[in-house]
Amino acid sequence: MEPESEVLDISSENVTDWKEIPGTKGKKRKIKRSAVAAIFVVIAALVFILYKGLSSALVYFYTAQQAVTDKAQLGTSTFRMEGVVVPGTVQPTPSGVNFSVRFDHTVVPVVEIGAPPQLFQPSVPVVVVGHFQSNTSNTFLSDQIMVKHSANYVAAHPSRIKNAGGTS
Amino acid sequence: MARKSWIALVGAFALVTVGVTYIMGLWITPPDVFQGNLVRLIYVHPAVAWVAYLAYGVTSLASLAYLWKKTRNYKWDLLAASSAEVGVVFTALTLITGSIWGRPTWGVWWTWDARLTTTALLLVLYLGYLALRRVSEDREQRAKRSAVAALIAFIDVPIVHQSVVWWKTLHQSATVFNADLNPKIHGEMAWTLLLGFLSFTVVYVWMVIKRYDIARTQFKLEDQTVERAIKERVGTI
Repeated sequence: MEPESEVLDISSENVTDWKEIPGTKGKKRKIKRSAVAAIFVVIAALVFILYKGLSSALVYFYTAQQAVTDKAQLGTSTFRMEGVVVPGTVQPTPSGVNFSVRFDHTVVPVVEIGAPPQLFQPSVPVVVVGHFQSNTSNTFLSDQIMVKHSANYVAAHPSRIKNAGGTS
Repeated sequence: MARKSWIALVGAFALVTVGVTYIMGLWITPPDVFQGNLVRLIYVHPAVAWVAYLAYGVTSLASLAYLWKKTRNYKWDLLAASSAEVGVVFTALTLITGSIWGRPTWGVWWTWDARLTTTALLLVLYLGYLALRRVSEDREQRAKRSAVAALIAFIDVPIVHQSVVWWKTLHQSATVFNADLNPKIHGEMAWTLLLGFLSFTVVYVWMVIKRYDIARTQFKLEDQTVERAIKERVGTI
């Protein structure tokens, strides 16, 4: 690089036709403004996720046992409850399905309004969304079932792989 | 061998491994006893999530290398940016594949449990990082600011990984990288899962090399543009 003084010397000469640098200042300022706007959008998204998420993520569900223990406090408010579907209790109804979930030795009867997901079956852990029917009743009214999957993967009919098809 | 041929070789290797994973995942491996054919997404989803972790890990190391005075070089800044960009793509893929799997398995596209929430946070944090890179015109300022931002954003990575252990989540815990490192998957399903990890990692390497080359070319172009502008004003220097 040449010393700065030489560049300054030239500016003192009578140079009239200054050329614009490609990417003029106005354009750059516009880019900068949109970048700042983008950051604001990102911050808004962050706040939304933190608000939406942290309020529900940390206590994502109560186990059926905790729900019954804390029943006085929970009342008829809406929350998520986890338990294993008790075999032999699943009974389809016109509006959905009735069944019981169990956690340790606590069993809670569930009345589900709406169709259960395709993997819903006895003995699987589920999370049901809803509330207790009343302050005195132990029945849980649910409008959504989510099937909780374990981290285990086991091959089905290892000897009949070639016939595999469909999703069940 | 020339650098270009090496990159082409990595690309070809990525293509072949992804192709083999595809065939293994869709045809060779058996359906799961519980989820049936839905299990086939496991050959993709955890692998792309791992690549996102890896990408942000590389971004953090490169950012540290830039911040440390002894190794300070714009190369590290460009590598950090390239890796973060690929990481964002893979984080989005993680969320998309997870959502596709969640709908038939859980019954919902999305739920605000700790794993899903922290992963969404991860995506937004690194989108913020990329947005921050566009704010400053000054190279040094941009490199410093974004390096610090990258290191702060990385805090979320171990939180995402441990979320299924620390909190009650709908998302299952780790199948392979669990506390006692005892894989809960076996036989050809396990091998295909491993192959998925390998193939998407190679895809990542290829993408970052390509992105880095573009970033470096852009960087040189900026220099040349400034030089040319000076020449046009003051003649040859």
